[in-house]
Amino acid sequence: MSSSLDPIVRLSLVVGIIAALILAGVLIALVVFTVRYRDPSRAQPPQIHGHRSLEIAWTAAPLALLAVIFVLSLVTLGQIGQGATFGSLEPPVTVSVIGHQWWFEFRYANGAVSANELHIPAGVPVELDLASFDVIHDLWVPELGAKSDVIPGQRNVMRLFTARAGTFAGACAEFCGLEHAWMRVVVIAEPRADFDRWLAAQAAPATATGRGLEILRSNACASCHVVQGQLAGTSIGPDLTHVGSRRTLAGGVLANAADAMRAWIADPQRYKPGALMPRVPLSDGDLDAVVAYLESLK
Amino acid sequence: MSTFALVHRPAAFATAGVLRTVDHKDIGVMYVLMGVGFLIVGGIEALLLRVQLATPNERVLDPSTYDQLFTMHGLTMIFLVAVPILVGFANYVVPLQIGARDVAFPRLNALSFWLSLFGGVLLYLSFVAGGAPDAGWFAYAPLTEPSHAVGSGMDWYIFGLAVNGAGTIIGAINLAVTILLMRCPGMVMGRAPMFTWMVLITSVLILGAYPILTSALVMLLVDRELGGRFFDPAGGGNATLWQHLFWSFGHPEVYVVILPAFGMISEIVPVFSGKPLFGYRFVAGSGIAIGFLAFGVWAHHMFAVGLGDAENAFFSATSMLIAVPTGVKIFNWLATMWRGRIRLEMPMVFALGFIASFVVGGLTGVSLGVVPLDLYTTDSYYVVGHLHYVLFGGTFMAVFAGLYYWFPKVTGRFLGHRLGLAHFWLTLVGLTLAFLPLHLLGIEGMPRRVWTYPAGLGWEWPNLIATVGSFVIAAGTIALALNVWRSLRTGDRAGDDPWDAYTLEWSTPSPPPAYNFDAIPTVRGKRPLWDRKHPDRTDPS
Repeated sequence: MSSSLDPIVRLSLVVGIIAALILAGVLIALVVFTVRYRDPSRAQPPQIHGHRSLEIAWTAAPLALLAVIFVLSLVTLGQIGQGATFGSLEPPVTVSVIGHQWWFEFRYANGAVSANELHIPAGVPVELDLASFDVIHDLWVPELGAKSDVIPGQRNVMRLFTARAGTFAGACAEFCGLEHAWMRVVVIAEPRADFDRWLAAQAAPATATGRGLEILRSNACASCHVVQGQLAGTSIGPDLTHVGSRRTLAGGVLANAADAMRAWIADPQRYKPGALMPRVPLSDGDLDAVVAYLESLK
Repeated sequence: MSTFALVHRPAAFATAGVLRTVDHKDIGVMYVLMGVGFLIVGGIEALLLRVQLATPNERVLDPSTYDQLFTMHGLTMIFLVAVPILVGFANYVVPLQIGARDVAFPRLNALSFWLSLFGGVLLYLSFVAGGAPDAGWFAYAPLTEPSHAVGSGMDWYIFGLAVNGAGTIIGAINLAVTILLMRCPGMVMGRAPMFTWMVLITSVLILGAYPILTSALVMLLVDRELGGRFFDPAGGGNATLWQHLFWSFGHPEVYVVILPAFGMISEIVPVFSGKPLFGYRFVAGSGIAIGFLAFGVWAHHMFAVGLGDAENAFFSATSMLIAVPTGVKIFNWLATMWRGRIRLEMPMVFALGFIASFVVGGLTGVSLGVVPLDLYTTDSYYVVGHLHYVLFGGTFMAVFAGLYYWFPKVTGRFLGHRLGLAHFWLTLVGLTLAFLPLHLLGIEGMPRRVWTYPAGLGWEWPNLIATVGSFVIAAGTIALALNVWRSLRTGDRAGDDPWDAYTLEWSTPSPPPAYNFDAIPTVRGKRPLWDRKHPDRTDPS
C-alpha cells in the first residue's frame, strides 16, 4: 500500500463507476423517451397504470448493488480505521495533536513541539491522538485520506500512512470560527533516518541569542508563547522553540521568511483578521531584533 | 377576500385583506411571496459569497462578514425560502386537490404564516442588533456557547428559528388534519393525488423533526442565558450532543424540502405524458419509506466525529437504504414517460431538468453514506456541491416546474414560453457551472466554510467557474421575474383546465372563487378529471 488514501481511492472507483452507469442510464432514458415520445397533440396514449414485477425488480436490484457497496465499505474501513497497519511491520509513531483557534499543535513523545507542521516518517504508520483546546476542529490531509474531528472533551485517534516521502497540504476541515480558513498544516514525510534527526533536533532547547529575546521577555509575548530553555510562557499560541525551521507562519497565511515574519509581527490582523495575536507596538529596530532572533531559532 | 383580489387588485388587498385573510389560497400566495422575498436576499448573499471566493486571497469581504453571510444564506434558503414556498404551494393546492373548501383550521393557518414570517424578521433583525449569527446554519457547539460567541447573533438565531419553527409546526398540523379529514366523498387515501400524499408525509416529518430543533434551541438558550452547560465540555457538557439533536432535525428537514418536490414532479410528469402515474402505490409507498428512514440516518453527518465503527456502519446502512425508495420514484417517473405522448410545455421542461439534476445529487448522496468515502469528502466542497444539486437542482427545479404548472390556476394567465425557456436554460447551465466544479474542489481538498483560500492548490479555476455560474443562475431568475411581470399584465388567458390535467384543482375557475367549488365533488378514481373527460374509459377504481 502506498498510502492511507489508497483503500479510499479503490472504493471510490467502484462506487464511482456504478454511479456513473446509473446516471448514464437515467439520462439516456430521459433523453430517448423525450425525443421518442414527444407529441404536442393531445391524443391519448395507452393508459398504463403500473407493472408489479418491474417495481420489484427496480427495488431489488439497487438493494443488491448497495449491499455489495456496503460490504466493500466495511472492508475498506478495516484497512484505514483504528489499528490499521497499512501493510507495514513497523510499530506506529504516535503524535499528539491539539487543535487551537486557529492553528494545530503537534507534540511528540520525546518532548518536541511543532505548530502547523507535522513531520512523519515515511513507511511507518502514524497514530494521531487528537484533542482540542477550545472548539471542534478537524484534521484533514487529503493526500493521506480520511479526516477526523478534533473535539474538546473527547479523544479521537486517526491513523495515517505514506510509503513515499513528500510534502502534503492539509487543513482544519470543521468550521471553527473566524479564521477557519487559515488553519492549514504542512505534512512532511521523510525517510526514517531524516525524521529521527529532525525529531532529535526539535526536542533540543533553543540556543540562539540576541537582543530579540530580551524584547520578547519585556513585552507580552510570554503570555502566549514559549521558547524552550529561554522564554517561559504558555501554550495559548504556538511554541516558538524552533519557529525558524518551519515552512509557514500563522497557519499558512505566509511562507516563513524574515520579511514575512516582520510583516506578521508588525500587524497580525492585516494578514489574518480575527487571529488571537494582538499587534504589539515595537520600534523598527526592536522589530528587526525580534525577527532576527526568531528566524535564528532553527 | 380571495386570490382574485390579491392578483388583480393588489392595492385593495394590501390595505385590508392581507392582515385579515384566512383563505388558504391567499395564505398560500403569501407564503410563496415571503419565500420569493427572502430568495432575493439569500440569493444576493450567495452572490457576495461567490464574489469573495472567485479568486484566492480575495478581500472583498472580511471573515466576520463572510461567516455571517454564509450562515444567513443557509438559514434563509432552508427556513425562509424552501419551506415557506413549499408550504405555500401545499396551502394553495392541497385543499383544491382534495375537493375541500379550505384547510381544517383557517385561522390557525394565518397564525402559521405570520409566525413563520415573524421568525424570519427576527433572524434578520440580528444584523441591526450588532451582528448576525456566524456559526453556520448547523451552529456547532461549543462555538455557539457564550464562551465563544459573545455577541447576540446566536440569540437571534435561537428566537428566530424557534418562532419560525412554531409556525411551521402549526402549519403541518393543519395540513395533516386537512388531508386526513377533509377529502371529498370517494377520495380514499388510495386515490389522493401524489402531491397531497407527499405533503401529508412531509407534515408528519415536520411534526417529528421540528420539536427536536426547538428543544435543542431551548437547551442552547439555557446554556447562553442561564449558565447551563449542556453543550460545553468545559463545564461537564457534551459538544457532540448538539450535533445529534441538530441532525435528528436536520436530516428529516432535507426530506421536508424534497418530498413536496417529488409530489409536484409526480403530478406534472403524468399530465404532460398523457398517462397516469406509473406505479402509484409504489410511489406513495416509497414516500412513506423515506419518511420512516429519514429519522434513522442523522449520524451520517457525523461519521468523522468518532462515534465508533459499529455506529457508523449502522447509519451508513440506513443512509444507503434511502437510495432505494428514491430510485423507485425516479424509475416510476421514467416509466410514466415511456410510451406516453410527451408535451414539452414549461412545467414538463422543468420536471425533466429536475430529474436530470436530482439524480446527480442523489448519487453523490449515496457516496456520502459510504463511510470511508464520507471520511474523505465530509466538510469539503464536495458536500456543498452535493447539497446544492439536491436543494437547487432538486427542490428549486421542482418549484419552478410547479410554478409554471399552477401559475395559470392562481392568476388565470399562462407564463410565457420563450422567457420560460430562457429561464430554464440559464438555470440548468448556471447550476451546472456553479455546483459541478464544487465536487472537484472537494476532491482536491478544499474545506467548506472558508472565507478565503491560498493560491497554488489547483482551486482557482473551479472557484472562478462556480462564481460565473452563480451569476448565470441570477440571470435566469431575472428572466423568471420578467416572465411573471409580463404575464400578470398581458399573459394569455388560461381557462379552467389549460393542461388537460387530472386533478380537482383544474375543475374550478382560474383563479378559483373563495369557496373553491360550487358543489363539493365526488370522485371514483385517482384521476377525477380524466374520468369526467373520458366516461367510456375511466380509471379502474
